[in-house]
Amino acid sequence: MAYSELIKSFERTRDYMRQFYVYGFKGRSEYDQKSTRSYDNERRRIESWLGDYMAFRQDAAGKNVFISVDSRAIPGNPLYHAFKAKSFTDGDITFHFYIMDLLADGNEMSIREIVDAITDKYLSSFDTELTVDESTVRKKLKEYESLGLLAGRKRGRELVYRRTDDKRIDMAFWRDAIAFFSEEDPVGVIGSCLLDKLPEIPGCFGFKHHYILHALDSEVLCNILLAMDAGRCLDLTIHSPRNGGVEKHHTVFPVKIYISTQSGRQYLLCYHYIFHKPMFFRIDSIHSVAAGAVEKNNAQYGGWYDKFQENLWGVSTGIEYHIEHMEITIHIADHEEYILERLEREKRCGQVEIVDAHTCVFSADVYDAAEMLPWIRTFIGRIEKLECSNSHVIETFYADLEAMRAVYGGDNDAVQ
Amino acid sequence: MLFSEVYGSYYNVIAAILSEAVSGELTEKRINDIIREKAFGESVLTIPVSLRNGSWPLLTRENTTPLKHIPSMPLTILQKRWLKALLQDPRIRLFSASESGLEDIEPLYGKDVFCFFDRYSDGDPYDDPQYIAHFKTILTAFHEKRKLRIRFIGHRGTLHSWECIPYKLEYSSKDDKFRVLTSSPRSMLTVNIARIKSCELLDFWTDEEYRPKTPVQKTLVLELKDERNALERVMLHFSHLEKETVRLGNGLYRLTLRYDREDETEMLIRVLSFGPVVQVVSPGSFIDKVKERLHKQFGLRA
Repeated sequence: MAYSELIKSFERTRDYMRQFYVYGFKGRSEYDQKSTRSYDNERRRIESWLGDYMAFRQDAAGKNVFISVDSRAIPGNPLYHAFKAKSFTDGDITFHFYIMDLLADGNEMSIREIVDAITDKYLSSFDTELTVDESTVRKKLKEYESLGLLAGRKRGRELVYRRTDDKRIDMAFWRDAIAFFSEEDPVGVIGSCLLDKLPEIPGCFGFKHHYILHALDSEVLCNILLAMDAGRCLDLTIHSPRNGGVEKHHTVFPVKIYISTQSGRQYLLCYHYIFHKPMFFRIDSIHSVAAGAVEKNNAQYGGWYDKFQENLWGVSTGIEYHIEHMEITIHIADHEEYILERLEREKRCGQVEIVDAHTCVFSADVYDAAEMLPWIRTFIGRIEKLECSNSHVIETFYADLEAMRAVYGGDNDAVQ
Repeated sequence: MLFSEVYGSYYNVIAAILSEAVSGELTEKRINDIIREKAFGESVLTIPVSLRNGSWPLLTRENTTPLKHIPSMPLTILQKRWLKALLQDPRIRLFSASESGLEDIEPLYGKDVFCFFDRYSDGDPYDDPQYIAHFKTILTAFHEKRKLRIRFIGHRGTLHSWECIPYKLEYSSKDDKFRVLTSSPRSMLTVNIARIKSCELLDFWTDEEYRPKTPVQKTLVLELKDERNALERVMLHFSHLEKETVRLGNGLYRLTLRYDREDETEMLIRVLSFGPVVQVVSPGSFIDKVKERLHKQFGLRA
């Protein structure tokens, strides 16, 4: 099949873009997809969509391609471009403009009237092989009705359609909000498509600590949100590299979407019908979702959440939801009162107790104390004491500290 | 359905081309300009051909079109549901969006669906009328190219008055705070909007006066060992920065990051959070800071 910069399915592209963006050190032969030609086509397409955001490096093993973006300096998320590259037929695009034009005055038309008008008013102006028939137009109108672009109703024995334009929704008033939320909202790609239709896009917004990779999971997330809104269970197809790429299926009741503002990772928190417990799934590992039946007993499958979340530090439930107690004694030097402020604003559960002018204790009861270690390490230089009911966590922390001492100079340097 | 051609780049480009054709202003050159401006890198190889060879019978050889109206498209139900969902977000009060036309639309998601579990808890006061007024004044200054006089409380508690040109309204999801990045003939300043006490619009600024800040970037080189899934964790954690990764072999990788000089302390604690799987290779001044923290730590244990 001839190369095209447009794509029919998003799944393969999702995987390639993720690898180009996250890793970027891989060579052509390491992309274990169908063939090297498939790699060449994907790389060429992504290059066409992203332009200058693609970078290259040549080393002994060959050429490495990667996506390099300072997301603080970009006008918009470039990964959204992939969603705007869906392929279509000649009829799709041609009839789109004909139908929208025919109904632009707010009038209603039947399928027959639309077919006749397409032939007489538009196709007659061209020397083209494209023809129109009732079945094609009926399918297109039905599709557009489901998208919400058209509304259909019975007029006597025939179906008539009109456009759903609503002048009350004034995009001039929405413009700034859309520009902001198209970057900030987890399904901001929807806003990005709205911005494409506006004559001018506000360029005043910038974003710090801005993780953009989630864009590639927008379709999966959107389908989860639609199912959640309808109170439906979900069939998940999981494709996790950590499981050796083995495909697994899970039927779950979705409860929340957990999002890290410090890595951009997104997780589905759900109740697992087979394992009978709450579970987290990384959304970037979800290959596809299918909405199932409406869950009539959603209080049973979602009602546990408030109690459950009290002991969550991140997204780990540890071993069988046992609670682990963690206590950190922090030294506050002179003029370092901001450390207390840091503890208060960064803690996600637990409490801070001031012992004296130079000492405070943070304590928390969590499912998985090991999950707190990265945060605790940010206080290196101030940790007087670390105590945990799980001794393995303490051992890991101090072993890591010793390893860092060895890495940064061992016994002969300033660390000592 | 999110992945649909109706949201696609080609449909937007063709709409833009046909808009000019309907107005009778379209030229061959404009077709190519529009494609280069709005479409993908290689679109210029395909779109003109399809428009000319009869595959997409929308444009005549004379660059006219049988279409009678400037192309437009109603909002899809998904777009309306997304807008309705935004109305539940406390930050929507900062903008002029309204529910008009969306009264009967179901939001795409409920207001408690998302949990940003590691977001700092001292975010901006989005329901404070004074905060909202300041935000809207700043937004007006951007749109009307006006200078601002801002009075704000500095980090040491003193009140400052600052006459400036705002050039960026920056939001951090981690901090849940807005900052306005400003310039003046004297210097540049970033002001947290929550610290602003008063904010007034001044004169229009001219292009000669507009000198947005170019952030001073520093380079940090790290080596990381792919233990405990560190490779993926580190790559994702720093993925918002311009970066380059090289595989050194034996599970070792070198990561070169570019970051804003003002964020050095933040970068330091972020590097520390990975423990021994990440080692700073350069610059030496950064390594010294890591050593200093470790030195203090071992001093406390002793």
